[in-house]
Amino acid sequence: MKVLVAVKRVVDYNVNVRAKTDGTGADIANVKMSMNPFDEVAVEEAVRLKEAGKVSEIVAVSMGVSACQDTIRTALAMGADRGILVESDTELQSLAVAKLLKALVDKEAPGLVLLGKQAIDDDSNQTAQMLAALLGWAQGTFISKLELGDGKATVIREVDGGLETDSLTMPTVISVDLRLNEPRFVKLPNIMKAKKKPLEVIKPDALGVDTSPRLVYSNYREPPARKAGIKVPDVATLVDKLKNEAKVI
Amino acid sequence: MTVYAAPTRDMLFVMTELAGLDEVAALPDYQELGVTDVAEAILEEANKFASEVLAPLNWGGDQQGARMENGQVISSPGFVDAYKNFAEGGWNGLSAPIEYDGQGLPELLNTPTYEMWNAANMSFALAPLLGAGATECIKHHGSDELKATYLPKMISGEWAGTMDLTEPAAGSDLSNVKCRAVPEGDHYLINGQKIFITWGDHDMTDNIIHLVLARLPDAPEGVKGISLFLMPKFLVNPDGSLGARNKVDCVGLEHKLGIHGSATCTLAYEDAVGYLVGNLNQGLMHMFTMMNEARLKVGIQGLAISERAYQAAVAYAKERVQGFAMKGTRGGSRVTIINHPDVRRMLMTMKSQIEAMRAFNYLIAMHMDMSAHHPDPEARKAYKTRLELLIPVTKAWCSELGIEIASIGVQVFGGMGFVEETGAAQHLRDARIATIYEGTTGIQAADLAGRKLVMDKGAAMASVIADMRAVEEQLAGASSDDLAAIRSSLGEGIKALSIGTEAMLAAMAQNPSAAIANSVNYLMLVGYVCGGWQMARAALVANQKLAAGEDTDFYQTKLITARFYADQILPKATALAQTVKAGGESTLALTEEQF
Amino acid sequence: MSVLVIAEHDNATIKKATLSTVTAASKIGGDVHVLVAGKGCQSAADAAAKIAGVSKVLMADAPHYNHELAENIAPLVVKLASGYGHVLTPATTMGKNFMPRVAALLDVAQISEIIAVESADTFVRPIYAGNVFVNVQSKDAIKVITVRATSFDAAAAEGGSAAVESVEITPAAGLSEYLSQELTKSDRPELTSARVVIAGGRALGSSENFKLLDDLADKLGAAVGATRAAVDAGYVPNDYQIGQTGKVIAPELYVGIGLSGAIQHLAGMKDSKVIVCINKDEEAPIFQVSDYGLVGDLFTVVPELTKAL
Repeated sequence: MKVLVAVKRVVDYNVNVRAKTDGTGADIANVKMSMNPFDEVAVEEAVRLKEAGKVSEIVAVSMGVSACQDTIRTALAMGADRGILVESDTELQSLAVAKLLKALVDKEAPGLVLLGKQAIDDDSNQTAQMLAALLGWAQGTFISKLELGDGKATVIREVDGGLETDSLTMPTVISVDLRLNEPRFVKLPNIMKAKKKPLEVIKPDALGVDTSPRLVYSNYREPPARKAGIKVPDVATLVDKLKNEAKVI
Repeated sequence: MTVYAAPTRDMLFVMTELAGLDEVAALPDYQELGVTDVAEAILEEANKFASEVLAPLNWGGDQQGARMENGQVISSPGFVDAYKNFAEGGWNGLSAPIEYDGQGLPELLNTPTYEMWNAANMSFALAPLLGAGATECIKHHGSDELKATYLPKMISGEWAGTMDLTEPAAGSDLSNVKCRAVPEGDHYLINGQKIFITWGDHDMTDNIIHLVLARLPDAPEGVKGISLFLMPKFLVNPDGSLGARNKVDCVGLEHKLGIHGSATCTLAYEDAVGYLVGNLNQGLMHMFTMMNEARLKVGIQGLAISERAYQAAVAYAKERVQGFAMKGTRGGSRVTIINHPDVRRMLMTMKSQIEAMRAFNYLIAMHMDMSAHHPDPEARKAYKTRLELLIPVTKAWCSELGIEIASIGVQVFGGMGFVEETGAAQHLRDARIATIYEGTTGIQAADLAGRKLVMDKGAAMASVIADMRAVEEQLAGASSDDLAAIRSSLGEGIKALSIGTEAMLAAMAQNPSAAIANSVNYLMLVGYVCGGWQMARAALVANQKLAAGEDTDFYQTKLITARFYADQILPKATALAQTVKAGGESTLALTEEQF
Repeated sequence: MSVLVIAEHDNATIKKATLSTVTAASKIGGDVHVLVAGKGCQSAADAAAKIAGVSKVLMADAPHYNHELAENIAPLVVKLASGYGHVLTPATTMGKNFMPRVAALLDVAQISEIIAVESADTFVRPIYAGNVFVNVQSKDAIKVITVRATSFDAAAAEGGSAAVESVEITPAAGLSEYLSQELTKSDRPELTSARVVIAGGRALGSSENFKLLDDLADKLGAAVGATRAAVDAGYVPNDYQIGQTGKVIAPELYVGIGLSGAIQHLAGMKDSKVIVCINKDEEAPIFQVSDYGLVGDLFTVVPELTKAL
């Protein structure tokens, strides 16, 4: 079985992103970029499935600017077999990404698509679900455990109340949560090998997908600053403030 | 404890825009490897390992250092797993030959990873550092049989390697080595004791390969009677499996000022089996073939610990609220201490010298690659000459600055820096060893002034000075105030270096003792001016990039940092030149009794 | 145009996040309709009808709507959505699961986790882990939105009297099957992931006294942590330690009790959303970073607080 893993190049999780002062965007010029941490978990899972003999080929896919090739190379160094970059200099929103992924799934015919549950830049948490919808496949979101059976996948989902176990018909789209696994450190020899693995670059047009943005973002700004604290006179006031003002209890 | 993230942006800048990564990558030996394609990925992945695995173990290694239990050394918490992962990650073989399963990458790429390992955890990093030295030595001088048996496993990191040189009466002066080696069949039986053996024993690998200096019973006195032996902790069977335990035992661990996580062992040999490496009685010479690598790596330690101390100081200065902003009026709210001018001075002093050291160290790494791999023998020779001249400066200047900068780091923390809890003090204690081992600062200075400088009557240094002048010329064409100030300061620095060099050459001819008494000042002079030279080159690149509108934040920072170095650090050269010119007579004038 | 809110419920009652979503819907304008899809969900639908501001409840009662499997819910919502300008649901794991599927099937964008309504087509949402807020405008005919419940007040659960109308059932997709659910154990949550953390300092005085915090923590479903001073004094084991040399936490609510707020401790908890401190020394630095500070003897205040909750 072939597995497709989607990886996104995002601002590194250590970078404290701020809004530009003119409000036209987030100030991410020249900041460090890395693979979305959730996507690392997705790649790791794919590699473990391959090591367990359940997967024969791993195709790592990314979308965006040319530098996304670095992100794909990281996936290749972790153990993916080949890469595809859908290269675009214009912004790709979740729906467009899902459509591009669908086009690639139609072409590659994988039995499983793995994605991170959300990207840590726009925090949208949409692409996997959208892709599953477009494909008419089952979806397993926020997965902390994945077991592939005969034509079915059993998943444990991290839901608000605890853990939910579902059975999904294959092929299926899986969005992974951080507790699914701990991604490996990339080994130096594998970085050298990754350089030689095939990486195909294609344009959205070639996939026949209209990627024009549907949402318009404006007025990027800092969240309101922490307001100065107060001293409360007694326990009753404290409880009242926590309940009705801070709304944390 | 203090956290660490490798400054990969600056590392890449120095590698590609100052130290000539493209030229190194184009060398025939590296051409196939696609060095420039993988450089960034290697730095990023090494950073992950350094910051996420090694750095968190640093404080634990300090608080619970290596210890002995029933004659066996137990490493600090987490070190065993970390070492296993380090080896499995292939990091140990980054620059090792491909024929022994290394990656065969250049020293210029190895150097930033060494900076990371040492910044993250200097105690840990000493294990692969010493192992690399032993590997290099076997590679150059070992028999094919020894190479085949030991190198692949040492390069993979499955087995560790050590350098067993020092004895109680043979420290800086190794001519006094007393360990005895007696031939027996295809090997030798070795008896004696070694001290200060870094990672001399531990539980991180299945086997440890010691390289031991010892003398045969009939060997000539002094340095010409010392031979080099390979002594495995466990003997290796013909099929490569481990056999009997060799009689090399750790009989004690030192209690040290710093690097507590690194086991510093006293080793005893009792009829221990050793195999001759290279030729009889040429052990010391064989050992010296890897001396330049070792000295560069200790220089990197000075740089690395400075970077770690700097990152901690910056984080604290941005967080610690104390006092009010200087505005001429009282009032307003309290500010973080990074707003205080003197804290700025401290941070800039750290930052600018760190960047100067990095540029200088990586340049030296490039010289290593070029001197070993350039296809043209003349070019190889030229690179080698400059490498030989500057390597003692790399080692001593950077390790001395390491102590100074780690000490400033403590100062930024104020009282909290003097308290162990913040970790600032650990960096200072760890930094302290680097000016001592691999040849003290005094020995490096004597090597520079007494050997390297006089060997060609100052010709190699004159060529360095000529290159510096060329940079000064380039700066003349620029219009900005920053470049003008940098040019002026570099000009003064070069003048100081010329004066100091002439004075040192003259002193060496007239009164060598007095000259050597002053040689550390001369070495530091060379270091500061070399730093200024590299920072000036960095400023030129930054100026160009800024004009093109590239990565303006980084290059502006670089330009201002270079300006600070020119304004506040490089002028030290003038004073040092004056001390060299004054001569060392007064240093030596007192009688022993007068002390 | 009306706004459709997809309710989160357990077939019997409506979840609180739904009430906040109704508030968000009201801010958009127009009638607010609520869809209750489930199995045997009449009670939940009746409860939805009582929410203030809701003018109609749509009920879809079928076995395959149980557990809100996205594959089954999405076609239902898609079918109903054509009559609405906005479709909203809480940004809970339920809403996050099925809503993007709805958006894709409608060929519209989704606006995730809004925290404010600027106008009928423009909303505010946090990005970059909340470091940046941004306005998002949608040009799509139907706006598909998930709502961060904590950013909107809950609508009154009583007061409305909407009609409940059954809607046509869409077929089961047959793609997925719910097997089981394991609710989080009621044991104390893990320190780094707990929503509420109670931390104690040296002023607790003994490990015996630290148990005072346990009672409070049980009331709040909180984890218990400590300062280095308290750990060093042996009151609690070292895995309790919060701070530069211990664990770093960022809970919704942090309550610091009998601790001064040494800089090393602050480094481990300063990103907490709401910070409360209880200390008898009103000059203690912890008051400077606290949203709510109570000056008092912890030995009287803590039991009182535990009782009041």
